[in-house]
Amino acid sequence: MTAPLLQVRGLTVDYATPQGATRAVDGVSFDLGAGEVMGLAGESGSGKSTLAFAIARLHRPPAHVTGGQVTLAGTNVLALGPKDLRQWRWREVSVVLQSAMNALNPVLRVSDQFRDMFRTHGITNRAEVAERSAGLLRLVGISPDRLCDHPHQFSGGMRQRLVIALALALKPKLVIMDEPTTALDVVVQREILEQVADLRRRLGFSVLFITHDLALISQFCDRVGVMLQGRLVELTTPAAIAAGEGKGGANHPYTRSLWNSIPPLHPAEPVRAQPDLVMP
Amino acid sequence: MTTPVLQTEKLSMVFPNGNKALDAVDLSLHPGRALALVGESGSGKSTCAKLLTHMLRPTSGRILFQGRDITGLSGRRELLEYRRVVQMVFQDPFAALNPAHTVAHHLARPLALHRPDLDRAGRGAEVRALLTQVELDADSLLHRFPHELSGGQRQRVSLARALAVNPAVIIADEPTSMLDVSIRLSVLDTLQRLKAERDIALLYITHDIATARYVAEETAVLFRGRVVESGPTAAVIDGPRHPYTRLLLSAVPDAGRPFDAGGSLISRADAVRRLSEGPGDLVYVGPGHKARTVDERVAA
Repeated sequence: MTAPLLQVRGLTVDYATPQGATRAVDGVSFDLGAGEVMGLAGESGSGKSTLAFAIARLHRPPAHVTGGQVTLAGTNVLALGPKDLRQWRWREVSVVLQSAMNALNPVLRVSDQFRDMFRTHGITNRAEVAERSAGLLRLVGISPDRLCDHPHQFSGGMRQRLVIALALALKPKLVIMDEPTTALDVVVQREILEQVADLRRRLGFSVLFITHDLALISQFCDRVGVMLQGRLVELTTPAAIAAGEGKGGANHPYTRSLWNSIPPLHPAEPVRAQPDLVMP
Repeated sequence: MTTPVLQTEKLSMVFPNGNKALDAVDLSLHPGRALALVGESGSGKSTCAKLLTHMLRPTSGRILFQGRDITGLSGRRELLEYRRVVQMVFQDPFAALNPAHTVAHHLARPLALHRPDLDRAGRGAEVRALLTQVELDADSLLHRFPHELSGGQRQRVSLARALAVNPAVIIADEPTSMLDVSIRLSVLDTLQRLKAERDIALLYITHDIATARYVAEETAVLFRGRVVESGPTAAVIDGPRHPYTRLLLSAVPDAGRPFDAGGSLISRADAVRRLSEGPGDLVYVGPGHKARTVDERVAA
């Protein structure tokens, strides 16, 4: 068996506060295979975003990694120096954040933002940059003529697709998505995630997908992790959660309570028929 | 059926840039009942809320309050009274409360303004009663500031503030979309209970048709400013007749069902949107259930 793409071992992140250190991520360990989509569920403040930021080395003071290891394709991520980190990030791991409105520079044309990213990573040939930018837009279903537009000329869903195109530009092995569709409405959310699922099949990257929506994870991900107060309390598959307690997996009461809080569309379905499992 | 407390007739709004945000929308709100207004971003649902609360004037159509035409309402006293009886709860629990004021202040102020009959002690008692009604613990929260509350608690404070002035209508614009999924249902339960207990007419605005069932007896689906389907919520969700309603329903996260199982939505979404833009009339398809006719040839 080959080593997994990403290995996280005992990762611990503290926030320095005037009252002393607050532990946001507490000894989290998991593996993510090549081409796998793993969802990380949890409520606000559970540490899921802090964990993702630490894996991509995006955490900044007052957040400090105080323990553990992160290995991505054999690279000891936490030991990377500033120069190596600049090349490693985006080539190996890219990040898509919740608010695409803030992720794009409002005063630059889309083409300029692609060019800046390519230039940072040593691709400066104008014809090549133009060709690859156009190809990336086609990849996410946006017409390449729109490269000359500014971000405000796109809808929220299209802006998020532009960010996803940027994230895939250097063919990273891992794409971390932190609530990528939370600010969008349900139809657009579904369109974007179907597209990501399709691109993953074609290009083979892995996804760490962070959201508070366990229903969405169960539709989109191969595996699920559930975070509670900085700890990973559950690591299982969507099928195991759906199958219910006692049938392998989904044993943590918190996972059950998250699962049961999903408003089912047609309440006659079995999901609703287990109110006794909701935590008091 | 009771007479509607708030009703719109062919309500239309065209912005100066030519954007037709609402196009001949008929809605009615009844005491003790809720209407869910469902649609995507840009469908006109928030414009509708702004017209109903008199923040904007419609370009045509009428708004009736208890049968009286209040479309052209003006005059300080009348507007003040209208804005008391029609209250709003906003989407963003972080922006809707003043960070410099305590919970107690947020609730005492509307009471001081709209309930001159209450003295200082009476206001204090009323503030506590309001917090209890929205299922918050008055003792621990009274003197806290908004940043010390969770999103769900803040949304409950916003709701208590709306209730403070004893409104006949509450317009809730995406009240739970910024809350964690795990607490959405409990906030919706509170809304549902209060509207029944206090005989309030509720307009529940959302993009998530799945939550409509938990609050609203009736549902209207809005697309590009027009109602494409409306009727009893169960009929609309369980037996949708308009292709756009079906699209909305198929996009709702369906726990445990992988994307592939439902067939791709992307391939259909644009065709359905094109189809839904065409002309067509709202016709009855069941008891109280209307859907706009579509020309299937457009999709081809």
